[in-house]
Amino acid sequence: MSRPTLFGLWKLLRSVMVAVCGLAIVVGLLPSKARSQLGLDPCCAIMSAGLNSISGLLRGAVALPLGSIQQNQQQSANFEQQVVFPLPAITQARNMALQFQSQFVQMRQLFQLPISSATLRTPQLLEQSLLSGNPGAMPQITSSYSALYGTVMPPANAPQPVRNMVDMTDAEAQAAMKKAVEIDALANLELQAAEQINQQLQTAAPGSSTILEAETAAWLVRANAYTQSAMAELVRVRSIELANSSDQVKFSASHTAALQSTGNQVLQQGVR
Amino acid sequence: MKMRALALLRTFHLRLSRSRRWLFLPVIALCLIPLNTRADGIGGILFLFHTITSTLQGPIGGALNEMRKVSAEVNDFRQQIIWPLAMINQARGFVSATRARYTGLMSQIAGIKNNSATLALPIQFESMFRGAQSGSIGQIPSIYTQVYQPVALAGIAQPGQRNLMDIDDAISMDSLKTAMVSDQTTQSMLTLADSLEQQAVAAAPGSASMVAAQACVADLETQAQLTKMLAAQLRQEATKLAHQNALLKQRSVATQNLQNQIQQVLAHP
Repeated sequence: MSRPTLFGLWKLLRSVMVAVCGLAIVVGLLPSKARSQLGLDPCCAIMSAGLNSISGLLRGAVALPLGSIQQNQQQSANFEQQVVFPLPAITQARNMALQFQSQFVQMRQLFQLPISSATLRTPQLLEQSLLSGNPGAMPQITSSYSALYGTVMPPANAPQPVRNMVDMTDAEAQAAMKKAVEIDALANLELQAAEQINQQLQTAAPGSSTILEAETAAWLVRANAYTQSAMAELVRVRSIELANSSDQVKFSASHTAALQSTGNQVLQQGVR
Repeated sequence: MKMRALALLRTFHLRLSRSRRWLFLPVIALCLIPLNTRADGIGGILFLFHTITSTLQGPIGGALNEMRKVSAEVNDFRQQIIWPLAMINQARGFVSATRARYTGLMSQIAGIKNNSATLALPIQFESMFRGAQSGSIGQIPSIYTQVYQPVALAGIAQPGQRNLMDIDDAISMDSLKTAMVSDQTTQSMLTLADSLEQQAVAAAPGSASMVAAQACVADLETQAQLTKMLAAQLRQEATKLAHQNALLKQRSVATQNLQNQIQQVLAHP
């Protein structure tokens, strides 16, 4: 081969060598594993590490406390369902209210049995009003009372102190009778209320039963107040009775003194 | 031939020179990608991860930990302070023990018979009105009349006196009947009280309020019945007072009549 030919061949070989070296450099500069484009491989590594860290944190800082909270709440729910508010106990309490209802009705009916016993017309009228439990019948008590026990005697028949005592006694006796009618009516209403509250209890929940308990407690306070007012009336009746006894002693003393004085006068006239 | 070989070589060289230009294009393209852009992307991602992890560790993790603690504390508080199972069972045991200790004893005391009459009719009468049987109420007037006599006949006593006798008897019998009814309802109330106590033994803290409400209702019933008894007592006392007053009025009339008669006697010697 001639020299120029050899020279051309050498240049060709050199160009090929340069191209191969350039390609090798480019290949060498490129990453060995292509995970992403445009040279973001370090980001992927960081992202992987970050996501791993987040995953670990979610497991440790979030999932663990949440699991614990869920466990606590489950335990709490079980405790409440099995120990605090067991359904069988609640049902049993409701059933008891159902049983009580018939007992209450029976007792109310017992107190409604007729008990009147008078045989004569005038006492019958008074007794009827007294046992009626009807506050509307109160005006009839005054007339029936007067018909049976009479009215205050006329001034000619008794001295004024005696008339006062009699009037006071009649007044208290009538008031006590009226009070008896009044509290009978109130007691009937209390019995009705008790039955109604009991009906509510048959379907009540543990949470609502306390409201019904409060309502019943209010009724109890009311009932106690009425009982107290009846007791006060009873005390007044006894007081008037005591006052009458005292008045009787006073009248006796006065009569004895008058008798003694009259006796002395008669004896003095006899001596003369 | 030689010339043709040289021309071929020259053409190849020229072609190779053009290819070399293409080879440098990727290298130039790589160099043209701005390095700061890559740096900026990584910094942002790092910052984002930092924010997420710190949020997870701080506000979320901290709050969840607090919630876990509170939840556990509430749970413990409920189970150990408010509704400790041991105390619940102790209370149930106490109710059972109280029931066992007192129920029989109280039943025995309440069951003691107070009947004290000695004669035939009073014995019969007493056993009837202490029998707590409302079904016997109808028999009360007849046996009462046998023991206490009927109202005097019209020719024997004056109308006012007969009325007094009748109303006194009536109120007395009414009260005895009311007492019989009351005794019967007392038995029912004692049965209800027993049921309530049995319920209390088996009750849970949640159902105890229902039992308590039930007891309250029964209490109201008892109170109403007590009021009815008080009404009966008021009627008795009022009748007694009215009776005394009526006697006073009758004595006043009698005294006036006596005075008039004496004056008439003295006026006609």
